[in-house]
Amino acid sequence: MTDAVPLWEFADISKAYPGVLANDKVCIKLFAGSIHGLLGENGCGKSTMIKTLSGVQQPDSGRILYNGKEVQISDPQKARDMGIATVFQEFSIVPTLSVGENIFLGNMPRSSFGIVDWKKIHADAARVLADMNVAISTEAITGSLSVGEQQLVEIAKAVAMDARMIILDEPTAALGEDEIERLHALLRRMRSKGTAILYVSHRLDEVERIVDEVTILRGGNVVRASGETKINISEIVSAMVGEDVGEHYPKEKNAQDGVVLEARALATKSGVHDATFKLHRGEVLGLGGVLGSGRTEIARALFGTDTLTHGELFLEGKPVSFRREIDAIRAGFALVPENRKFDGLFFNFRASGNITAASLGSLARLGILDLAKEEQATDNLIRDLEISRQAEEKTVNFLSGGNQQKIVIARWLFSDAKILILDEPTQGIDIGAKIAVYKLINKLTRAGKSIILISSDHDELLAMSDRIAVVQHGSITRTVAAHELTHDDLVRASAEATHEHKEEALA
Amino acid sequence: MKRIFDTQLIGPFAAMVIVALIVALTTDRFLNPGNLSNLSLQVSIVALIAIGSTIVIFAAGIDLSSGSMVALLTMILAQMLKMIGIPLMLAIPLILVAGGLFGLFIGLITAYGRIPSFITTLAALIAFRGLALTFNNGSPIFSLDPALEPIFYGKLLGVPMPFFYLIFFYGLAAFTMNYTKLGREIYAVGGNPAAAVLTGINVKKVQTITFVIAGFMTAVGAILMSARLNSGSPNYGQTLELQAIAAAVVGGASLAGGRGNILATLMGAMTIVIVQNGLNLNAAPSSVQNIVLGLIILLAVGIDMWRAELSNLMARLFGRNRSALTSPQKKKAS
Repeated sequence: MTDAVPLWEFADISKAYPGVLANDKVCIKLFAGSIHGLLGENGCGKSTMIKTLSGVQQPDSGRILYNGKEVQISDPQKARDMGIATVFQEFSIVPTLSVGENIFLGNMPRSSFGIVDWKKIHADAARVLADMNVAISTEAITGSLSVGEQQLVEIAKAVAMDARMIILDEPTAALGEDEIERLHALLRRMRSKGTAILYVSHRLDEVERIVDEVTILRGGNVVRASGETKINISEIVSAMVGEDVGEHYPKEKNAQDGVVLEARALATKSGVHDATFKLHRGEVLGLGGVLGSGRTEIARALFGTDTLTHGELFLEGKPVSFRREIDAIRAGFALVPENRKFDGLFFNFRASGNITAASLGSLARLGILDLAKEEQATDNLIRDLEISRQAEEKTVNFLSGGNQQKIVIARWLFSDAKILILDEPTQGIDIGAKIAVYKLINKLTRAGKSIILISSDHDELLAMSDRIAVVQHGSITRTVAAHELTHDDLVRASAEATHEHKEEALA
Repeated sequence: MKRIFDTQLIGPFAAMVIVALIVALTTDRFLNPGNLSNLSLQVSIVALIAIGSTIVIFAAGIDLSSGSMVALLTMILAQMLKMIGIPLMLAIPLILVAGGLFGLFIGLITAYGRIPSFITTLAALIAFRGLALTFNNGSPIFSLDPALEPIFYGKLLGVPMPFFYLIFFYGLAAFTMNYTKLGREIYAVGGNPAAAVLTGINVKKVQTITFVIAGFMTAVGAILMSARLNSGSPNYGQTLELQAIAAAVVGGASLAGGRGNILATLMGAMTIVIVQNGLNLNAAPSSVQNIVLGLIILLAVGIDMWRAELSNLMARLFGRNRSALTSPQKKKAS
């Protein structure tokens, strides 16, 4: 492979931001017909590299070779002209436009007189989607599609422009198991057609499944280069973190006998029905099921976001009902939302303000805050949880995703919440930070708090839960000890769910 | 104190000093003690109203109603003093309560009626002006009460009274924003309302309170306006709401909410008034003043928007030795 001329070669690329050298002489060779994994912890320089490759920014030094000839990728348009398509984590589709319009956005075919040729747009878009083996109507409004389908539209844009290289940044962060499978099938097909694919992901199980070769970055440097590393997860993990990480899932069993929360036959308008379970003190109850099975809806029902149409909720034996979120919070519930960026963090605050936001009442006397106490308490937490020391001085938008997630969870460690609902707490954060979150879960349960864990990462769910409630289209029918379930059981449960669902639809 | 006097004040302070220097260069009448004292009188009304406007902006709202509310409140005050004969010592607290109630009304409609504050306060801007015209057949009312004028023109230890109002209210506002639960909640609501809901902050209540504060501070401004001219008029306070918002923006408050320092608003107000004063002293027509005010707002928002680029530029120009090329990881390794 070393003899062949790579389609793209990035040699000694360096890029500095004020205060940090984000890329230090990074070399990557991308070959046609190969899926190349770019891995590393948050802050290792992956995003910087992607921005350089897609022309969003210019490297400070280094050479870029296209088919062996030196070129410059001066801006995103130039990148597109040279056949580089980038699918960023944050989608660049317009949710109010149709699928067809999005696919050809910025590149609309025109008929004579410069009028947009709608017929051609929809015909071409339909051909691209058919090519990709994706059944989405080109007339559908993109915003009404599922996240997974929107992702596919995003990729369809790349296919439509005949990209010879596609960069995918965390493409599966928001996808369910079967959607991931569909995406991978598509990528394999594109690979066989000779497209070069750069695949950036935190989910190592996927990397093993799809990637041909990897480059691992740490602290802006390449620590393992193309072809050198075999795709072996534990080897990759230690290369990324730079040390032996030890136990991947440091599970502690802190469950006690007392029941904290009991839900009986909950139902809501958003599709929850017959959700019945018990939660013990210090227990981690996992909600298992695929994306769209109703896990998040059950969380919303518990938290007072959706009103109950049926069923009862008992908190420490006493019946409760929540009209709004604030009622649930006052009763001792906490929700760490899936989308921490939009629903969790105050980007205008430093770590301290974020950590104490849910417990200002306990910090205040006659409405005046005890700022010394706040600093002291948050300093301790920052040290305890190994949050970046920068968090004390800077607002949290400067922190990595892992540090941000630790801060969102630390908020509830600091509060007197008794029951925490963690919705995808490790999504999009790196291994080191994931393990820190697991340790944080232990800390919470050790303090007698109970946790409802929602996660699409089945390995994590099985390892970190004491018991698993299997969710199938909005209902919880059985709760089993986590060690009695396997990864396959969960996948099969989800498969059964979709199967039954189809039958229902037919009936 | 470190908390209140933070780095956010440097920019607005520098802007104020630079503007003052420029004006002082164009006319020697600027630094004349009489002019400076006049300046503090001029700045007081807009600066006091700007406290409310800024706090509303901190919570990611906007208050366009204050100018018209000033007119309405001066007319109510005039009516009470001149037509009904309510004593001044009772009329003043009543006006403050009225301002707070108008604010409460706007706040409730905005927060609980889920109508953007831009719209509710735009409606109030128009309607309050109309309401002000319903008093005294739409004519101003003059010579309200001889005891009114000292509120604005009086001096204590040789210092004009408005100076003390500024100290008191800015002190109170700075304390509230930096040291109280309410202040923290206002910043939280402005920073991320969705997260505020999930942390158990009563977002609607907090939003409503910011408008009550704005209404109250507008009433303070209205009383000073009446005292200054010993009258009430439905034409008072035109564009005052924009000057107050401009003071907040020049002071660095982010219109997206959640960021800014209340004391910087005072500097923003000073900057604007110094510019107006400079134009006045140089006999510029009022049309030019409005154009300049517009440009100042544009520049202030521009600086906010281009902050990253500007600091990069500054770093490149002045910070060569604090080069970006030292990464923390490399330091550890060496």
